Amino acid sequence: MSSYAVTIATLLVIQAIAVCGLNVIVGYAGQISLGHAAFFGIGAYSAAVLTTKLGLSFWTALPLVIGISALIGLLLGLPSLRVREDFLAITTIGINFIVEAVFRYVPFFGGALGIGGIPRVMFFDIRLKGVPFFLLCLGFLVLVLLICWWLTRSWASLACYAIREEEAAASTMGISPVRFKLLAFVIGTAMAGLGGSLYAHYMQFISAGDFSFPVSVGFLSMLVLGGMGTLWGPVVGTLILGILPELFRPLVDYRIFFYTLLLLLMIRFQPGGLLGEESFARKIIKPLLRGFKK
Amino acid sequence: MTQPLLSVKGVSRYFGGLRAVDGVSFDVFPGEILGILGPNGAGKTVLFNLISGIYEPSSGEIWFSGERIDGIPPHMIAQKGIGRTFQIVKPFASLTVLQNVLVARGITRYNHLSKVWGPWGSKEEIKKAMEVLEKVGLSDLAERKAGLLPLGNLRRLEIARALVVGHSVLLLDESFSGLRHDEISRLEDLIRSIRKDGLTVILIEHNMRVSMGLCDRIIVLDHGLKIAEGTPVEIQQDKRVIEAYLGGKGAAYAS
Amino acid sequence: MRLFLEQLLNGIAMGSIYALVTLGLALVYGILRILHVAHAAVYTIGAYAGLLIFNLTGSLLIAFPCAMIVCAIIGVIIERFVYFPLLKYPPFVPLIASIAILLCVEEACRLVAGPYILTFPAKLPFPDISLGGINISSTLLAVYVITALVLLILWYITTKTELGLAMRAASQDMEISGAMGINSHFIVSITFVIGSAVAAVAGILVGIYYNQVYPTMGTVPAYKTLALIVVGGLGSVPGAVIASLLLGMAETLLIGYANIPLPRDALAFIAMIGVLMWRSEGLLGSSR
Repeated sequence: MSSYAVTIATLLVIQAIAVCGLNVIVGYAGQISLGHAAFFGIGAYSAAVLTTKLGLSFWTALPLVIGISALIGLLLGLPSLRVREDFLAITTIGINFIVEAVFRYVPFFGGALGIGGIPRVMFFDIRLKGVPFFLLCLGFLVLVLLICWWLTRSWASLACYAIREEEAAASTMGISPVRFKLLAFVIGTAMAGLGGSLYAHYMQFISAGDFSFPVSVGFLSMLVLGGMGTLWGPVVGTLILGILPELFRPLVDYRIFFYTLLLLLMIRFQPGGLLGEESFARKIIKPLLRGFKK
Repeated sequence: MTQPLLSVKGVSRYFGGLRAVDGVSFDVFPGEILGILGPNGAGKTVLFNLISGIYEPSSGEIWFSGERIDGIPPHMIAQKGIGRTFQIVKPFASLTVLQNVLVARGITRYNHLSKVWGPWGSKEEIKKAMEVLEKVGLSDLAERKAGLLPLGNLRRLEIARALVVGHSVLLLDESFSGLRHDEISRLEDLIRSIRKDGLTVILIEHNMRVSMGLCDRIIVLDHGLKIAEGTPVEIQQDKRVIEAYLGGKGAAYAS
Repeated sequence: MRLFLEQLLNGIAMGSIYALVTLGLALVYGILRILHVAHAAVYTIGAYAGLLIFNLTGSLLIAFPCAMIVCAIIGVIIERFVYFPLLKYPPFVPLIASIAILLCVEEACRLVAGPYILTFPAKLPFPDISLGGINISSTLLAVYVITALVLLILWYITTKTELGLAMRAASQDMEISGAMGINSHFIVSITFVIGSAVAAVAGILVGIYYNQVYPTMGTVPAYKTLALIVVGGLGSVPGAVIASLLLGMAETLLIGYANIPLPRDALAFIAMIGVLMWRSEGLLGSSR
């Protein structure tokens, strides 16, 4: 594999981890979040600070990073509980702008320059980069998918689904909406934190712009296009929206235009996602599968 | 005399200037079937929302087996064994019928974070949920998406979920409306049988024949006020009820 | 003191322009419950269209109405072909579509007009005036007068005409029933026409005020106005206008005076979260 392909693949896998986390919040619990990049950033910045300023290794910092992300997810999830659905969308946008501003303007986080010199991940005595680091990320993605798979079968996610579908009915079945929404926020932001940590150690240099609002829009688009609430949707969506810009590279100047146009057309004609119900992917695949069974 | 299981004491609920429920008091005794009658907008559903914790009373108290429950959030009230249905059905539309019932079956776990990580699809749980679906006659449709069911079946699904939650009291909000004749008599049998199991039932019902035949006692609301309370026979003869509720159509209810 | 007053006057001008953009957003939200981020795209197109027509004809009196018509058409196209088919989906689906429209239009503008900042050398036909030693430039005066005029016309339409009555009824009705009759669909389109035409006015005014027109000029307003309609109370037009004016003044004064470290653009969101914690329905919102 060329190093270019490895770079793309590694970034895709890292993004897929964050999108899986978003899926827990949006797909399972039905809580719209347009500020996921903030939590990705919180993971990245805590990893950067812990490793460059406190000299921790990736592995010792990791539980702390995940814990910090989850804790901040919990704190920022709290105001979200007070507001209605549309407010929630805008509140999470606000959280993204504010968190980005904090990274950009607080000197502790390197200010506009960001934080550099983040060490590579050590695996015993090997410094991971290139393909080995990609494999590490892939391993984490598999772990995250396993957790998601386990979640979908658990009572916790059943409670989340119920809240997503009909909050009032769910609460008359003994489900505390506050508890399970926060649970989804915590799990989702913890996954974003993990992704952010991997991102920091891969890029070795991060700055506030890496976690700006458009990144959140990207995450949500990936999730919606892949299929919310499905296990593989986040992975499929990340692959498609991640690879398309690369395929459009020959278009040079027109690349971003066609990319955004395609995004618009996909959301317009496949609003349920490619793995969701009534998607054409399903319409094509289903008869094929039936054919196989016969 | 036995202690009341549920006591509503002078409960009011205002929306702006509107007194949706105005100083209503009544007791419900264990094993009883209590009917709540009243014209549209009399405050019946608001009363249910007050008992099940969706609204907080503006004044007054609600007691359940020796405990004050007004102001407690709905999920805590459900945990005490008070199940309810909604007049405007609220299925978990994208879940299957079976999953809808399983959600209710999780009620014993949702309060303990350590208990919510196990799988909901265990054989034991599915068997128990299927038994409930059998009771309401939905077992054939267990794998169907709830959002695709017609209204009659959704009402049964509501009852199935409420049955799981309400091991003590069942609040049925117009569960009979929209059902066919044979479905109605089947549901009547179901309610009688669950009463035999020791449950207490409070139901809001428009169908006179059903409520008169099923209920031990009836209270009548009008414009948020309780205007009558008594056995079905007493209610049928109550002048105020005939005036307020039935208006000029006294003949209709007699039939 | 003089500096303070001059800053304040600038702040009011900023707020007026915010109000013109936010207005359309509040109107659309009131009737469709959609967060119309692409409104900022309409505003960008308005600025470019106005500049183009001004360069061709040399007359602002032609440029304003033409840009308004162009924007109105684009607004209706967005409503008919993107939002309307997506109404039955959860609200974030039209929201993502809306963001995609904004990005797409920004790119289109960049490709057509180039990535550079164009100047808008028009002079608005207003005098420079001086009050007690404080100068009010013609541009500033123009912003005040035009904003006031637009608000007055809108107030008249929504409160005094049958059309306005129908618009308010439609926003009530659609909230309750969620159903869309043929008639109310017409009303929805009219709402987009009005909102988009006002956005064109805002676009041209911003272009002249800063003497800048560039592809991404809509990015920051796109999201900031979302915060503003929340602060104003979702769907409340007067609330949105008041919130816009307050923000314009607060931003200018805080940046000019207090020298706060946080960037200007985060202020709207900090205010928003503060307001939400205090009054979860916004300044003039009705609690439902």
